[in-house]
Amino acid sequence: MPTIQPSLQQQVQSLYSEHHGWLVGWLRKKLSCPHGAADVAQDTFVRIIASRDALFGMREPRAYLSTTAKRLLLDRARRQILERSYLAELALLADSLPGAPSPDEILMAVQALGQIATALDGLSSKARDAFLLHYLEEQSQAAVAAQLKVSTRMVQKYLVQALLACRHACPAMAA
Amino acid sequence: MNRPRTEVAAEQAAHWIVRLSADDPAERDTAQAGFAAWKAADPLHASAAAGMENLLRQLSAVREPAGGDHRPARAALAAIAPKRPRPRQLAAASAVAVLLLTGVLALGERPAYLLADLRSPTGQWSTHTLADGSRLTLAGGSAVNLRFTAGERHVELVRGDILVDVAKDAQRPFFVDSGQAAIRALGTRFTVRSEDGATVLSMLESKVLAQVPQHPAVVVQAGQRTRITDDGVGPLTSIDAASVHDAWRARQLVVDDLPLAEVLDELARHRPGQLHYDRAQVAGIRVAAVLPLDDTDKALQLLIDNFPQLRIRMLTRYLVMVDAPAKK
Repeated sequence: MPTIQPSLQQQVQSLYSEHHGWLVGWLRKKLSCPHGAADVAQDTFVRIIASRDALFGMREPRAYLSTTAKRLLLDRARRQILERSYLAELALLADSLPGAPSPDEILMAVQALGQIATALDGLSSKARDAFLLHYLEEQSQAAVAAQLKVSTRMVQKYLVQALLACRHACPAMAA
Repeated sequence: MNRPRTEVAAEQAAHWIVRLSADDPAERDTAQAGFAAWKAADPLHASAAAGMENLLRQLSAVREPAGGDHRPARAALAAIAPKRPRPRQLAAASAVAVLLLTGVLALGERPAYLLADLRSPTGQWSTHTLADGSRLTLAGGSAVNLRFTAGERHVELVRGDILVDVAKDAQRPFFVDSGQAAIRALGTRFTVRSEDGATVLSMLESKVLAQVPQHPAVVVQAGQRTRITDDGVGPLTSIDAASVHDAWRARQLVVDDLPLAEVLDELARHRPGQLHYDRAQVAGIRVAAVLPLDDTDKALQLLIDNFPQLRIRMLTRYLVMVDAPAKK
């Protein structure tokens, strides 16, 4: 371990000092807001450092950095669409709600939804629907089976698949 | 060998948890007892179970802001789900949403916008001088890609509203490419606005040639406006070019006898977050006003001042609702 630590640190250090300025400039051209560019650049480094393996043997750091940053931008866009859709639907219900939901509550819900969506991405559409109909909409397993036109046993199988997928996709959330 | 053991535990936990919410109460009771014994048997079991139970708690927590209603969560997940046929019930729910939120929800928004060459954030204008000396002004929430070659100049309108002041260069035609048409100019000034399925072209000076693929090209002259769709260039209507230009420069929305709904749609384009209104209740209200587009809070205030029957509520700064409740 002690032999790895310093070289990891050096790797990060040199990656940061040689390319951070370049990445911020690159992002600034993509985004119009300079603060956004700095934030995404920061997140990009954090993500790369978190996946230590990538640091070693990185042949073209700038290509790697810009690919990671692009992925982060797409994540952001996805989160924004998620949040807007959530708020829009919430607005439709607003009159029937007892009180206005707090921004904190909304933020937590949107974050959890983002993680759940990512977890469900790899599933078949039936497994995904079974999971949401049963656990989010609280429909009985028989009702889900009828809606998906499969057996109740099959619904249970889908639910197991979905629970396992969530565990794989967001271990932090399940921990 | 550690990993397979946790995998096995996870699988077993998932099976137990599914049985806990079985339809048959007797099976649920059996599962409850069995699950408890299984968890007690091994700390590894207990932690696999705790992870999934926590996950399901988080899932039910996403209903809380909506007072337990699952629809906002469902709609949000549907908006970013990979494209595939949706179950019937869900399709019905979103049809309702579309009816009530016409023109407000930018669900079609694609990340292409984020990766465009030039963009302006919602509510902020920006002006750029391009390599050839042409000037491009982007209204808030707009984005373009630029492609200049030796023989041609292209500006691709990704979204929003732009004012183009083309530098003359007879050798190098200037094109604005929108979703519907290619608009070709030599040296001129005009605005192009991207709407859902249409492009609105307003000529301020000189003329351009607007071309929709498979349709004849149409010359559009100064003082004319047209709505271009995939079916071709629409009828030409006349506009006051000078006041359109002034409004652009002052970042104003100048309206003369326009339905309030259309004015609110326009304000919504220029503010971050959501602006919803009750279409039925605001129907029949018509507006003649000059409203600041770079300060939509003020614009909304001006509307309330002039139409006391309107009610404007802000749930958060990003969620504004407008209606006109009937007086008791």
